[in-house]
Amino acid sequence: MSEKMKNRVIVVVSIVLVYGFLLWGIFQKDGSLSVSERRKLTQFPKLSVETVLSGEFMEKFDKYTLDQFPLRDLFRRVKAYTSFYVLRQKDNHDIYLQDGHAIKMEYPLNEKSIEHAADRFSYVYDKLLAGKVNNVYVSLIPDKNYFAAADAGYLSLNYDDFVGKLTDRMPYAEYLDLFPVLSLEDYYATDTHWRQEKLRQTAVFLAQEMGVTLSDSYTVKKAEVPFYGVYYGQSALPLPAEDIFYLEADWMQDCIVTDYETDRQMPFYTLEKLQGNDPYELFLGGPKSLISIENPNATTDKELIVFRDSFGSSLMPLLAEGYRKITLADIRYIQPDILAGFLQCEGADALFLYSTSVINHSETIK
Amino acid sequence: MLFSSIPFLYYFLPAVMLLYFLVPKKLRNSVLFLSSMFFYAWGEPRYVWFMLFSITQGYLFGLLIERFQGQRLSKVFLTSTIAVSLGLLGYCKYANFFLENFHALTGVAVPVVKLALPIGISFYTFQIVSYTIDVYRGDVKAQRNYIHLAAYISMFPQLIAGPIVRYSDIDRELAERTTDWDKAAEGIRRFVIGLSKKILIANLLGELVAIFKASDEKSLLFYWVYAIAFSLHIYFDFSGYSDMAIGLGRIFGFHFPENFRYPFISGSITEFWRRWHISLGSWFRDYLYIPLGGNRVNRVKWVRNLFLVWMATGLWHGAEWNFVLWGLYFAVLLMLEKLFLLPILQKHKVFSHIYVLFLIVINFVIFDASGMTEVFAHLAGMFGLAGAPVLSPASVYYLRSFGCLILIAVIGATPLPKYLVEKVRGRKGGEKILAILEPVYLAALLIACTAFLIDGSFNPFLYFRF
Repeated sequence: MSEKMKNRVIVVVSIVLVYGFLLWGIFQKDGSLSVSERRKLTQFPKLSVETVLSGEFMEKFDKYTLDQFPLRDLFRRVKAYTSFYVLRQKDNHDIYLQDGHAIKMEYPLNEKSIEHAADRFSYVYDKLLAGKVNNVYVSLIPDKNYFAAADAGYLSLNYDDFVGKLTDRMPYAEYLDLFPVLSLEDYYATDTHWRQEKLRQTAVFLAQEMGVTLSDSYTVKKAEVPFYGVYYGQSALPLPAEDIFYLEADWMQDCIVTDYETDRQMPFYTLEKLQGNDPYELFLGGPKSLISIENPNATTDKELIVFRDSFGSSLMPLLAEGYRKITLADIRYIQPDILAGFLQCEGADALFLYSTSVINHSETIK
Repeated sequence: MLFSSIPFLYYFLPAVMLLYFLVPKKLRNSVLFLSSMFFYAWGEPRYVWFMLFSITQGYLFGLLIERFQGQRLSKVFLTSTIAVSLGLLGYCKYANFFLENFHALTGVAVPVVKLALPIGISFYTFQIVSYTIDVYRGDVKAQRNYIHLAAYISMFPQLIAGPIVRYSDIDRELAERTTDWDKAAEGIRRFVIGLSKKILIANLLGELVAIFKASDEKSLLFYWVYAIAFSLHIYFDFSGYSDMAIGLGRIFGFHFPENFRYPFISGSITEFWRRWHISLGSWFRDYLYIPLGGNRVNRVKWVRNLFLVWMATGLWHGAEWNFVLWGLYFAVLLMLEKLFLLPILQKHKVFSHIYVLFLIVINFVIFDASGMTEVFAHLAGMFGLAGAPVLSPASVYYLRSFGCLILIAVIGATPLPKYLVEKVRGRKGGEKILAILEPVYLAALLIACTAFLIDGSFNPFLYFRF
């Protein structure tokens, strides 16, 4: 190929690429949702004299072009491959692959965030629980980085320090250590959450520590949808789909699960959620500020109030066997002051059950 | 609007190109001018009028200076336009700096000026000033066509980040220029390489710098990794932008001056400044240093000239004391080299390169600081005076994670890649191999850059506010 021909090829290839994507972008229908990232995509901004003069139109148009670019997910994958395999970077957006798992490098330890969480828990204790409940427990669920970071050479939190900083500020609560009970295999490979079908020992352990015995007898059901967890989208890598399982037992059929937001009953497992953006919402319907589970056939008369994040959604159906009533409050979605009107704490036990990643980014805890 | 953004690459640029090559030649400067206004307004619509005022005064004073050439009035008009140009720049960029320091010195409370710095004002102000001085000196003729002059000053390829193109550089090309396949390919090649330098190297090194700054686990190693990463970051960021500007100019038929020539291979600081931000260095040389007498004066005046020029160069980069220190640091080094160091450096080649790299890395730490406190904190850390450990898990991890990128950046900052390409070209069949590989390589770079842009929103440009 002569120099002249090469130059023509360079010009033509550039024109094809640039104008090709321009036209493709103009004529393709705008997407409304990024499935892989589980978020709404920016739509074409409102064009007016005001929005142009204020710069709002330009700012939103920049985001719009990024969100609506043709083959967006493929480009994100190209970026991930380039980072990992060309530039030899060890993580992409703090996510790395280890033992078939996509893992978020939870780091560094955010002391202020831990303090904030502990302060809010103490507020809840003082406002709602003190003098009313029998026992108060606190338990932390390690993020996946706890299991993989050291061996794979990634940064991680100092977990002893982390637990100490939280529990030192919660002298009213007994710490239940879940770290030795769990392993990486207990979590979804592509998601941050743990797998319910792997939590039987965890549930037995927690219940035992709180004075309740579980039969640990369930039927394992498989959801007929491929599950791609939150790290699948964030990593932008072609990770394989996973199966999502849930546990059923005969005693669950008589349980009454009430959603206080709608004041309606709901099932333990909302199967319609499997078709949504996050199939993990199968468990207790996903994000809910206040739920109760009443079990008329419970093995004890005990009541438990759980302050929790999304990890609790898959665990609590298992604990329900031993409690006449479990109330689950997510104080990321409801002010503790409002809870006073709903919670009956006298004689109950209380459990603060949170993942380390939520405590390390606790700004959403009210 | 940033070059390294999707709206620029896939909307603005193709639209402007189409318009530019479709209209008759005589309208091409109008297309450039209007598209540059649009480009500028995209980032800061309020300041379009500000720039238009600057251009208009430069245009009118240029005509007046020429009209009264050789007469006293000519000097009055030159002084007026310089006063207006530098007055606007001074007001926007330095008013708060001086007011704050006045307050610190006297304790007298003075209200600060609430004005955001117009993008690219340092660049276009210097272009206007050099144009009017050149007209005054009779080096160029005043431009009678307002659109031509406005297109020159506001031309979007070099508007916000240089190089500082002098009117004399493109005087003739404003009136008559040509574009063909070869020039377009040359421009595309240069643009894509500049884009890649910015997105694939500078932005990622910028992430490492940001990680260092946010880290509570600083160590001696981390301080040095940061200092090296920032030095490479600013080089790839700025030279990448210059490459993009030069490439775009080439596509439109202009020849913009080179701004960087592998500065990190310099054997002295004197040489470094012949290779780093060449258009700025030569601007200060021609329009400040030489008019002050340059080095053809007695030693005291020469030292004064040197310090004045480098203090101005420092302040041009930003209205903070660390930029003043940055400039004065160079003044001292250049003075020492001129007085006795240069012959020593020329004799000891290896030492001279270590000397330059060491001093430049230190210098960029001063440059990057948010103030004098941070300057001393970072320098103390680099020399083990901050009480930080030698290593920390974070420093080791990020060195491993960014090590390959740093290595690529170090090699890319030397002429080695170019040398290797030339080696291949010189071999039998090498030309053919390159002819096939180059379009593929450029397309792959463009796709990789697009991928990085789509994936992330981290894309600040360092020279916006200068």
